[in-house]
Amino acid sequence: MQPLASVLLWSGISILGAAAFAVLALSRGETVNAAWLLTAAVCTYAVGYRFYSKFLATRVFGLDDRRATPAERFNNGRDFVPTNKWVLYGHHFAAIAGAGPLVGPVLAAQFGFLPGTLWLVIGVVLGGAVQDFTILVCSLRRDGKSLGQMAKEEINKTAGITGMLAVLFIMVILLAVLALIVVNALRDSPWGLFTIACTIPIALLMGWWMKVWRPGRVGEASAVGAVLLVGALVAGGWVSSEPAVAAWFRHSGLNITWMMIAYGFIASVLPVWMLLCPRDYLSTFLKISTVLVLGVAILVILPPLRMPALTSFASLGEGPVFAGKLFPFAFITIACGAISGFHSLVASGTTPKMIQREGDARVIGYGGMLMESFVGVMAMIAACTLDPGVYFAMNTTPAALAQASTVLNQAGFVVTPETMQALAAQMGEHTLIARTGGAPSLAVGMAQIFAGASSAFGGRTLDALWYHFAIMFEALFILTTIDTGTRVGRFMLQEIAGHVWPRFAETSWYPGVIASSAAVVAAWGYFLYQGVVDPLGGINSLWPLFGISNQLLAAVALCVGTTILIKMGRARFAWVTTAPLAWIVTVTMTAGWQKVFSADPRLGFLAHAASLAGSANPDAVRLIFNDRLNTFVALLFMTVVTVLILTSVREWWLVLSRRKTAIVHEAPYVETGYATGD
Amino acid sequence: MRRETERDAGCEMRDGALPFPTRLARVVRRIIGAPDYDAYLEHCRAAGHAPQFTEWQYVEQFFEAKGKGVRCC
Repeated sequence: MQPLASVLLWSGISILGAAAFAVLALSRGETVNAAWLLTAAVCTYAVGYRFYSKFLATRVFGLDDRRATPAERFNNGRDFVPTNKWVLYGHHFAAIAGAGPLVGPVLAAQFGFLPGTLWLVIGVVLGGAVQDFTILVCSLRRDGKSLGQMAKEEINKTAGITGMLAVLFIMVILLAVLALIVVNALRDSPWGLFTIACTIPIALLMGWWMKVWRPGRVGEASAVGAVLLVGALVAGGWVSSEPAVAAWFRHSGLNITWMMIAYGFIASVLPVWMLLCPRDYLSTFLKISTVLVLGVAILVILPPLRMPALTSFASLGEGPVFAGKLFPFAFITIACGAISGFHSLVASGTTPKMIQREGDARVIGYGGMLMESFVGVMAMIAACTLDPGVYFAMNTTPAALAQASTVLNQAGFVVTPETMQALAAQMGEHTLIARTGGAPSLAVGMAQIFAGASSAFGGRTLDALWYHFAIMFEALFILTTIDTGTRVGRFMLQEIAGHVWPRFAETSWYPGVIASSAAVVAAWGYFLYQGVVDPLGGINSLWPLFGISNQLLAAVALCVGTTILIKMGRARFAWVTTAPLAWIVTVTMTAGWQKVFSADPRLGFLAHAASLAGSANPDAVRLIFNDRLNTFVALLFMTVVTVLILTSVREWWLVLSRRKTAIVHEAPYVETGYATGD
Repeated sequence: MRRETERDAGCEMRDGALPFPTRLARVVRRIIGAPDYDAYLEHCRAAGHAPQFTEWQYVEQFFEAKGKGVRCC
């Protein structure tokens, strides 16, 4: 493109983005169309990708297409396979995107649509995408090594062990909170439970198909699975309408909790091809297609945002969805979509083993994360198109709703029981009140958008079907994460225990498999149980813990990235990772401190425990124990990451002051055999 | 030093010569992380060695490796 045309184009995009932000920020009291939100996000992504990611690729990392990648050097036709960048982009996106970018923005919508959107859009350009890109490049230059291995080699052994522990802890909390979302979405919902229950025999059939009957024919098996899935979805409507049959599938949260725990254990012990792989394929297809359809549907109907830009909960800190002020809690509630430490595991997993050219890392690492952020923005739109009264009635327990009733009334966020009953009937549910966890309110928002789009094309709205489709969509990939997470946690536990008893490390030794699976499931199962029986709904305590742990893992990744940059002799560019690192550490440590030590019983674990001491509440002893356990977990996360940061800072100081020779553990340079285009 | 690689042996040209549905299926398999035994056989031919695995063994190993990967939240 001619320089002048390029300058004009990018100036136009920048001005358009700034204008969209101005409309969003300056609107007070009037309804804003979602188009402005989309415009602001897309223009920021475009500018960030065009300029900042190019700066990172050329000046900071010095990506060189003439340097052979691990995929080329170790090409074995299986895990090391040179792959077209757009194909790998799809593969990487499918691996990093899960429930997080959908649920986090929905919960953060209690502050209004603006804070969460700003964090999603700015956080990803300067933080999340930088982290993913940095770790991908570091792993790419180290033969596809994992984050833990890089921490061990580039910082020291303590950092490696700390990183591994951080991953194990986050896994436990992550699985508990994701399972809680599913439990809250499926309790007292025969349609939802029936559909999700059907996915188990469907996955078993698919597994048998592609392993035994037609080895490797994933496409055929997935097509059959998709047809059966739609059949299960439609049949769920019939199940729900027949009282005698519905009774079989109507269960309390506690019953579904035990089902989830049993499921997690069985899925971890069974061979991967039976349940894990087929479910993963189904959920990947569903994830990519639904995200595309949601994007198109939003563009077709461009819904108005009914939630204000900023609610009073941002400054009061007494939000009924979760307690705490905008700073720091908006920034840990939205992790995936803005910056997520978990991505560093994927960016140092399969993706670096498939990159064809170094330059491709830019679109895959940086661009893939921008797409996830866009999914988060769409979730924010879906939540904010709901009537605020409906949103708060769905995401709040009766106890929390009563506490926040004055503020909700003053803001006009009220809804009558009749309205909620009518909405529940429209969605084919018994009730939608106190459906905490974010998934049901996202499903209602999505159902209304899908229904709006289908009626725009002259079709029937089918709200109930769309609602349960959205629930199935979310539950399916949450269950996939539970399958894989429990299994990976089991491998890690077996590896750790193997240092004491070597036989335990054998992944084919069934007593070890069963014992370690049981331990991992018991760990996340306990947190799930306490979340389900929590009078405040569980999300209030578990989601912040998840956010803290995820962001602290991001701190680990950014420490590794900074260390490598300094050792590469690029200390002058270390600000690209230290700036997001400083922000993440500030936010997360503040949130952790407040969750533990705040004097507000709704916010602080210790204050909540103290408020229960000597009370007549029959569950007081258990609740106090849970508060103390949560305190321990939060402090443990903070301590582990503090150790890692101090270790890293010491390493930086030693290298920069020339007290230690900088040894970079990069793979040796080998020239590519591919045509490089120059 | 230029080394003999799959591309030098014409892998991309072979992909380009495939019928569109086959190419599309190959792309979808890569995106969702599904086994592709035909691509593995082509790789072995290009690399000049005999396949180390039967289709059944290849699929089994592929699924095992998939079970060790993480899915994000």
